[in-house]
Amino acid sequence: MKINPEDMVVVTGIGCHGRLNNYFRAYGFHSLHGRALPLAQGIKLANKTLSVITVSGDGDAYSIGLGHFIHAARRNIDLTYIVVNNMIYGLTQGQTSPTSQKGFVSVSTPFGSKESPVCGLHLALVSGGTFIARGFSGAPHQLIRLIEKGIHHRGFSLIEVLSPCVTHNRLNSYQWFKENTYDLDHEKGYDSRNKERAFLSLNEKQKLILGLLYQEERPSYDDLSLPGEAPLIRSKMQVNQNKLDKILKKYE
Amino acid sequence: MIEDISVMIAGKAGDGVLFTGNVLAKILKRQGWHIVTYRDFPSNIRGEATNYTIRASLRKIFGRGDRIDVLMAFDCDAILEHINSLAKGGIVLCEGRELTRLKPAERMDKTFHPFPMRILAKDKFGNEIFKNMILLGGLCYILDLDLSVIENVITETFLKRKGKEVVRRNVEAIHMGCEEAKKRIESRERHSLRRKKDENRLLISGNEAIGLGALVAGCRFFAAYPICPATEIWQMLVHYFPECGGIVVQTEDELAAINMAIGASYAGTRAMTSTSGPGASLMMEGFGLSGMTEVPVVVVHVQRVGPSTGLPTKSEQSDLLQWIHGSHGEIPRIVLSPGSIQECFEFTIKAFNLAEKYQCPVILLTEQDYGQNYRTVTKFDVTKIEIDRGKLLTEKELLGIKNYKRFAITRDGVSPRALPSMKNGIHMVESNEHDERGFRDESARNRTKMMEKRMKKLETARKDLVRPRIWGHQDAEIGIIGCGSTLGPIREALAQLRDSGIDAKFMQVRTLWPFHQKEVKDFISTCKQCYVVDNNYEGQLRQLIYSRMRPGIELKGIRKYSAYTFRPKDIAEPIREAQ
Repeated sequence: MKINPEDMVVVTGIGCHGRLNNYFRAYGFHSLHGRALPLAQGIKLANKTLSVITVSGDGDAYSIGLGHFIHAARRNIDLTYIVVNNMIYGLTQGQTSPTSQKGFVSVSTPFGSKESPVCGLHLALVSGGTFIARGFSGAPHQLIRLIEKGIHHRGFSLIEVLSPCVTHNRLNSYQWFKENTYDLDHEKGYDSRNKERAFLSLNEKQKLILGLLYQEERPSYDDLSLPGEAPLIRSKMQVNQNKLDKILKKYE
Repeated sequence: MIEDISVMIAGKAGDGVLFTGNVLAKILKRQGWHIVTYRDFPSNIRGEATNYTIRASLRKIFGRGDRIDVLMAFDCDAILEHINSLAKGGIVLCEGRELTRLKPAERMDKTFHPFPMRILAKDKFGNEIFKNMILLGGLCYILDLDLSVIENVITETFLKRKGKEVVRRNVEAIHMGCEEAKKRIESRERHSLRRKKDENRLLISGNEAIGLGALVAGCRFFAAYPICPATEIWQMLVHYFPECGGIVVQTEDELAAINMAIGASYAGTRAMTSTSGPGASLMMEGFGLSGMTEVPVVVVHVQRVGPSTGLPTKSEQSDLLQWIHGSHGEIPRIVLSPGSIQECFEFTIKAFNLAEKYQCPVILLTEQDYGQNYRTVTKFDVTKIEIDRGKLLTEKELLGIKNYKRFAITRDGVSPRALPSMKNGIHMVESNEHDERGFRDESARNRTKMMEKRMKKLETARKDLVRPRIWGHQDAEIGIIGCGSTLGPIREALAQLRDSGIDAKFMQVRTLWPFHQKEVKDFISTCKQCYVVDNNYEGQLRQLIYSRMRPGIELKGIRKYSAYTFRPKDIAEPIREAQ
């Protein structure tokens, strides 16, 4: 993608996905559980010339960090958010997660989960996300394409990745995902610029949709906050004396 | 001739108490007086009782003092509430009809000037809102304030925001009040305040001083969530950042605020967040991240009264131990406690330098008292601001390093720092325990080594910290120790004690962590009696001292936890009684 390794920062949260940093030759920050997004937004705002990739799990993104997720989407900060969804808490040994299905049996819900799952794509859509897609680790070519597109997109891009946990989640296996997904990229005439259609697709299909659900162009928060090419880290630390005198005058 | 005067403006939230007080404070400041203001307001927008005291003096003053000389009351409740705090010979300006409700004893030794401010305002302007300026005009007559100064202040306040017409009407209302007072009040009842040259001073709040400090210290990223009583810092920066190339973000919560600041700082911008009360509890998590990952961050905590929601608009010192011990696990941290508005400005600049030099979180622990209130300070010297970014590498320096290790073990504990986008500096930052390269390492050997490396930084930092300051006679045998806002009342208590023939000295602790145990112990060892002043229930500063040393003599606690700050007499009286 012609991005220099030193110009990319990969920020991860806490969970099985957190190992990911170690496989990149780029700057990496393994942050706190649920806080990858605020940290990544700070990085992007301070230096908008960086490509900031943020990676979370379903627990990180849709449970402990859900508030940050919605606000990052509505701010439309230019970063790529990859949410690795395995529908279970793997690192803590197999508890029900916010994306587990109702009735899901696990060590934390031995009698079946009583809660309905969270749909991250839906949330991103209502919160103002400008690039919303889902891939599947069983379909790597499509996934690579979506991530590439997401990185190129100017604004907040969500790419959820269905990624079976072969250790703890016996229900949502590769086979299960193959049977329970529907690929929008193969739907004839699907228009990812049509928000209404995107909503309908999420609602209508009995299966988890795959592919690019929605995309729009909207000015990003980082561009609105600091117009021009120069990043914040290049701002002068000294304040012009005339400016200071003017400020101090107010208190005289 | 009056040399020291306290004017209280009291009414209901929504009466314009704050506005009137700010105008009066500025007028008195422009006449060359030293000012300390004290706002007592509820966590409410309209309806509840509120008051604003402006103390002005020809001498330098440090706190709100002990008395009230003039009460400007907008309603009956205000008189009933405050009549007993009024000094002997005090003056009351009020509507008039409420006076019948006062007991004869309450009216004794006081002068009442009934003033039909509401009727006048309605008749002349068709709007009660002008009652403040009419009453202020009355006060101007009594104190013989300079009307041209008042007109200037009104013009500066309104011209830009509200236009010429509003300025004209307000000035007219002040003149009207002044004329009305002339008719009603005999000239012998006037108390002319001496006019001096307005010296090189600013009238500013602690929060604004911190905003200004951050601006000149090169802070260009600020993220926060709205909370009383810290929001003025933000409102200041949001105003001046755009022209200085800075970004302010209103985050969804305090968790995001501190993490965003850490992110921005990691990328290379000086970053800050500010909070109070419950927000500080939420920030504890990110505070630990900054300590573990050695990313500098400055957190301003303007203390309010806790626990829980507590009393959001009032002042306390109950979060000392939280920042010294807070966050899970152990991290190096620096906690600064400014005692004055001057120190708010200076310590903010210091905080950014310390954070970058020692690559750790720095807490600026202030209080609502001087955070939101205005005081006069000597004009800040902004011409020689020192910016020290510590071991921050340049790209050129990095290219000369083979096998760069972000968390390299060094003699002083501080490792050279590279920023993302720098060639040859690629590294990993881990919130898990990590090795010198930043990769996760759970071995006992590594853990011990890295723990010692991080904590070592505090020992290195010691020489750079703000040392305690001693006030009063060095050879006095009575010692007082305090920090933060108690500076003002303790210094005034020293004077009161001296007037009763008691010599005392005061040690102002200015860095709470790492603690200056040697200096504090040396101070205590020169005292026969020693008191520790705490604006909290548990005596947190006293506990802190005991946790760091065996002081040799018993340290007596003077505590206040009524949601109000100390008055000098609260400190002087118990000491006087013990003699």
